[in-house]
Amino acid sequence: MGKEACLRYTSSTSLPPPLSLPLMPGFSSGGLGGEVGGPAASPPCPFRPSRFVPVSAATTFLVGSTTLFFCFTCPWLSEHVSSVIPIYNAVVFLFTLANFCMATFMDPGVFPRAEEDEDKEDDFRAPLYKTVEVKGIQVRMKWCSSCRFYRPPRCSHCSVCDNCVEDFDHHCPWVNNCIGRRNYRHFFLFLLSLTIHIMGVFGFGLLYILQHQHQLDSVHSSVTMATMCTAGLFFIPVAGLTGFHMVLVARGRTTNEQVTGKFRGGVNPFTNGCLRNVSHVLCSSQAPRYVGRWRGKQTVEVHPPFLRPPLSEAQLEAKVLDNGIQNDHHSSRSKSSLEQMESQSADAEPPPPPKPEVRYPGLPRADTEESSLLSEGPSTPSMYKYRPAYSSPQRNHTALTHPNKMIRGDSLDSPSILQSSRQASYRSEPSSLDGGSVIGMVARGGERSEGPGGSSGTGGEIAGGISGYSLGGRSYTSYPSSLVLSTGGSHSSSMRSAHTHHNTLGTLQSEGTTDTSYKSLANQTPQNGSLSYDSLLTPSESPEFESAAHELSPQKPHAPAAFPPAMTSSPLPGVRDVPLQGYTSPFLSAQMAQQREGQLLQGSASFSSPNRAYLRAFSPPPPNPPHAAHPETQHHLLHQDSRHPHLRATSSIRPLPPVSEQPSPSSPHACSPDPPVSPPPRGPSLRKSPSYTGEAGLQHKARPMGGGSLSGEGGVRVTQAPQSTSRPGLANHSTSKLVGGVKKVTGVGGTTYEISV
Amino acid sequence: MSTEFHNLQELRHSVSVATKVFIQRDYSQGTTCRFQTKFPSELDSRIERTLLEDTVKTLNSYYAEAEKMGGQSYMEGCLACATAYLIFLCMETRYEKMLKKISGYIQEQNEKIYAPRGLLLTDPIERGMRVIEVSVFEDRGSSGSSHSSSVSSGGISQR
Repeated sequence: MGKEACLRYTSSTSLPPPLSLPLMPGFSSGGLGGEVGGPAASPPCPFRPSRFVPVSAATTFLVGSTTLFFCFTCPWLSEHVSSVIPIYNAVVFLFTLANFCMATFMDPGVFPRAEEDEDKEDDFRAPLYKTVEVKGIQVRMKWCSSCRFYRPPRCSHCSVCDNCVEDFDHHCPWVNNCIGRRNYRHFFLFLLSLTIHIMGVFGFGLLYILQHQHQLDSVHSSVTMATMCTAGLFFIPVAGLTGFHMVLVARGRTTNEQVTGKFRGGVNPFTNGCLRNVSHVLCSSQAPRYVGRWRGKQTVEVHPPFLRPPLSEAQLEAKVLDNGIQNDHHSSRSKSSLEQMESQSADAEPPPPPKPEVRYPGLPRADTEESSLLSEGPSTPSMYKYRPAYSSPQRNHTALTHPNKMIRGDSLDSPSILQSSRQASYRSEPSSLDGGSVIGMVARGGERSEGPGGSSGTGGEIAGGISGYSLGGRSYTSYPSSLVLSTGGSHSSSMRSAHTHHNTLGTLQSEGTTDTSYKSLANQTPQNGSLSYDSLLTPSESPEFESAAHELSPQKPHAPAAFPPAMTSSPLPGVRDVPLQGYTSPFLSAQMAQQREGQLLQGSASFSSPNRAYLRAFSPPPPNPPHAAHPETQHHLLHQDSRHPHLRATSSIRPLPPVSEQPSPSSPHACSPDPPVSPPPRGPSLRKSPSYTGEAGLQHKARPMGGGSLSGEGGVRVTQAPQSTSRPGLANHSTSKLVGGVKKVTGVGGTTYEISV
Repeated sequence: MSTEFHNLQELRHSVSVATKVFIQRDYSQGTTCRFQTKFPSELDSRIERTLLEDTVKTLNSYYAEAEKMGGQSYMEGCLACATAYLIFLCMETRYEKMLKKISGYIQEQNEKIYAPRGLLLTDPIERGMRVIEVSVFEDRGSSGSSHSSSVSSGGISQR
């Protein structure tokens, strides 16, 4: 993250700007939590002297004024009024100073950066937000691209310190530190005690002055008056801030929440009542630090053989059906390891009971699969992974008996389960992907539905990496891949930036866009659905999508990693009768779909270049695809799939011409690939869109009813596996049926589209 | 091919981390530290549900006790204020004591239950109390699998 101005004045601090003073050396940079060891908090902050000006000023004023007060005013006071006065003031001053130091130097509750493994669990096409329910209230957790995790509730990322801070309150320039969970108490007590101290200094100074009115020109008096002025000057902002924080504490809010108005109209789920809130701030035990902890050595040794829990018959049966599904964990199998396994099958110990397969029906566990997939090591390209899996299907009979250790080879094994193996193999294929597990998952879905199309599942077909890759790249129709759904419930539309650290050519990358683009994407697709389907239905607003698509399309070529086509299988547009079962169509928004499609096609290993022209020209699919064409469309898609599996990427919201109006889908119309066309202007109906198959046989569908143009005017119809991870928060239009995280919305003219929520 | 055999024999009994399963925090009751007791499906074949759920429940109870606002924490706060927080140089806070206890508990659980099953729990404090990381090991030798590039926790990215 770029460092913003180091001097960061929050709205809550209303103190006057500091005077320029000589810098005070010795302040640690960056997060004061330090990087003693263990998890890293943040990269070292470049030394910026300007950051230390306010804290230096504050320290100078505090210490200097108080010292002067003690030296010039207190002697007389202790003699002529009471000796308790200096003691009292000393105590208050020490308390103020101690809290000031604790607020300044204490780690506010910095979260260490998440490690790569954890990040992989979250699909890099996962949404920007995850929602959790806190005491019945939905709270959004935002993905932090710097720290690589979803920020816990009340956590926020401080741009000055470049850290995520737990219970983030604000970044205080006067202490040059973030105020968070651990040091909020000290900050609050500092404010309280400073207010009391200022009042004391001012009051006793006034007492002195009143008793020395005849000696106002003496040194002592003038110093006392100066001290009083300073105290009086600072009293107003400090007292104001103190009062503000007292209200916050009573309400159980942080400054961040108050200033951003999070709970303005609603209920604060983090409050426990005034008394409990106050006691929580003042009386709770000091929270532990997360960074810079001393780590004890892991002394537990792990050696094989491992115990396995016994499985029930049902699990056994499921295992048989779903051969190789459990191999999801071992996505980072290498070719050598696979072959080792195969060769060792004879020597291997008796196979443990098969892993229960409950994911199979409708993929209820798809997300865990995904997560398990994603949690693997990334680097080898999927192509590489595919090769060993399918190179020797016949040798995997015994492999079947090692369910938990099997890799994708399992799925291809026993001929007895060839039918299911097709599907199972589809499943296992993605598991073999490393970093591209996302795609794998999606591909998983698509493949399954593609039985007729490409029997990629059977080992014979997958000759090499390309075929395997293409397998992954297949477009899959209507394969419910709830796996892409991030855990944790509903997600808003914007997607996390694709993290391309795993990406190689073969790996599947969700978006291929940068963080910026996703955030911008998020900005463009407001979750409230201002780009709502209502607007889509009205032709005048349709250009919004196109313009956005235009913005996005140039990004596609720069997509860092190849995004194999058909990563996400999308249900045939408008196919209502296809049960979603957790399948989510990736239609976040027009932009996203377009982007994905473009990337999908671009990512196709062997077919990228020819299609690129198409893909780039592909404008986002119109929002309301006709739904009438389901059967033919499906047929068409399947037909296409059989021919060009790797080119599929149909957007879920691809408008299809109605069946009645179209000639048989399988008959090529104007098959010649169209030259790149800029996204066509949306017609009023936004319904029809010519669909194009891939270059080598992409079918060009004539626009049926003269109506709306699909972005694909020049667009290529690419079957796009649902990128369920990105879930648009587009508003529901009319009827919507929430299935597995996808809303089916009926638009004008009976077109339906799925919005993943 | 022969190379792999050779390697296999050498690595016959080595283990490597095949995957990591993450048990997320349960925020349904606020920001107090609780972990989800939902059993992750990836571990279905590795460990009995009850064992892991018991472990997580015990951890939750420990964390709840650490964060409890009672007499001890109040006294600790007062003492700290009275000594200008110098007491923290000598004394451990209540939370830290509980964390040590939790660490010992996790170690014990690992030794007794998880290591024999090829699993390893990572203390959530190392992850900022956001997740419980369960490392799933695979026996390289017998299974010939998992060249997972994932390394033991903490090794990978120092950002």
